[in-house]
Amino acid sequence: MIGFGSQAALIARRDILRERRSGEVLWVTLPFGAIALLLVPLAVGTDAPMLRQIGPGIFWVVVMLFGVFISIRQTSSETDAQRDQLALSGLDPAAVYFGRALASFLFLLGFQLVLGFVTVVLYDISLEGWLILPLTFVIVAAGLSLLGTLAAGIVATGQNAAALVPLLVAPLSIPLLIGATQALEALQLGRSSLTWVLMMIVTVIVLAIAGVLSAQPLQETR
Amino acid sequence: MTPREQTIERPTSVWPWITMGVAGTVTFIASMAVGPDAVQGQLSRIMYVHVPAAWLAYLAFFVTMAASAMYLWRKDLAWDRRAASSAEIGVVFTGLAIGLGMIWAKPTWGVWWTWDARLTLTAIMFFVYLGYLALRRTTTDLNARAKRSAILGVLAVVQVPLVHFSVVWWRTLHQPPTLLKPEPIDMDTSMLVTLGIAVVSFTVMYVAMMFKRIELARLEDEITEMQQTADVPIAGEAVTAPALERGA
Repeated sequence: MIGFGSQAALIARRDILRERRSGEVLWVTLPFGAIALLLVPLAVGTDAPMLRQIGPGIFWVVVMLFGVFISIRQTSSETDAQRDQLALSGLDPAAVYFGRALASFLFLLGFQLVLGFVTVVLYDISLEGWLILPLTFVIVAAGLSLLGTLAAGIVATGQNAAALVPLLVAPLSIPLLIGATQALEALQLGRSSLTWVLMMIVTVIVLAIAGVLSAQPLQETR
Repeated sequence: MTPREQTIERPTSVWPWITMGVAGTVTFIASMAVGPDAVQGQLSRIMYVHVPAAWLAYLAFFVTMAASAMYLWRKDLAWDRRAASSAEIGVVFTGLAIGLGMIWAKPTWGVWWTWDARLTLTAIMFFVYLGYLALRRTTTDLNARAKRSAILGVLAVVQVPLVHFSVVWWRTLHQPPTLLKPEPIDMDTSMLVTLGIAVVSFTVMYVAMMFKRIELARLEDEITEMQQTADVPIAGEAVTAPALERGA
């Protein structure tokens, strides 16, 4: 019997291989996110100072909304047979949860890095206080991946599942959105961003606990 | 009796309707009888419905959480029906609280909506519980539906204290708690009594609504079960009549 960490790594590796074959994040979600960043100035106006001001906020909104699709893509695209096979494999449901979340975490991190670069270029963002960004990227990716995996597990493959998961994830990701935007703004204004970072970390911990506690009952739901 | 001949008993209880009518009338009369606020004038009467509606939303979502936890423990679908019924009522009253708040806000603050922590979090709570109700429509398997929504029902309740304490934790335009707070209540006695009557009436209304909604949910579940079993052969498709040879 392999350990908890190895089981999670096994699931993460499986999801990464599936992504490598389908290329959904790289060839669909990522370009779609970049297009969204391109469309906003066309809608609100191309005034450079205004875009510089709203740019970070727009970036995080795009990350949250499009990141949902990344964090739910594997779980929601699984067939009933695949779920049954996974349930009968003897893997710890909590390890499966963390494995899925780990794969999504890596994709989300890459997604944020690429879109972050696109935002800096398109919106001419000042990188003052940028040292907080790597930490924010990691926490947001962790929170969103845990939340998306949990929500996709709850909804599973029911009717309208693809539309329902974003409805559940988007409102619950608000603490991450607020924390991410405020942490950078606080540093740029010369204030401490510790409170905002702590708020995001607490959110991530709560999501991790909720995911672990619900993994077993959700697997039995099939 | 074959499944097709099954019938469901039509609910006949009338007392919940009468209770709802009486509670609604009492609230209306009490809120009209009390004098207007010295500053806000007639507009303050909205408070006698807005505050009880918000209180009922809190109560309903706590009941959803408790009933969801009970379902996860006991695996009894009756608890699932209680959780769902309470969530449905909670969503209606959250919507009412938001709507009435907006009507009050326009003449008072000059805008229908402002990005205040209490308002924003209440709207988020409303959408999460809408998601809870939508989740229940994704499957007709009663046990799967119950388990999935029970997990969400337990998780979602975290928003209730967030909404309530948002006016304490953040500096907001929305006034701090008037009733549910540790300090003494600073309010005119006649207004406080009226608000108390409204809160009690709304709570009684909630109990009556719960009774009717649970009754309806039980009938819905019975119909779903009947539909699922009506045309299914007892031994499924696996067993067919044996082909007997002639003269055997």
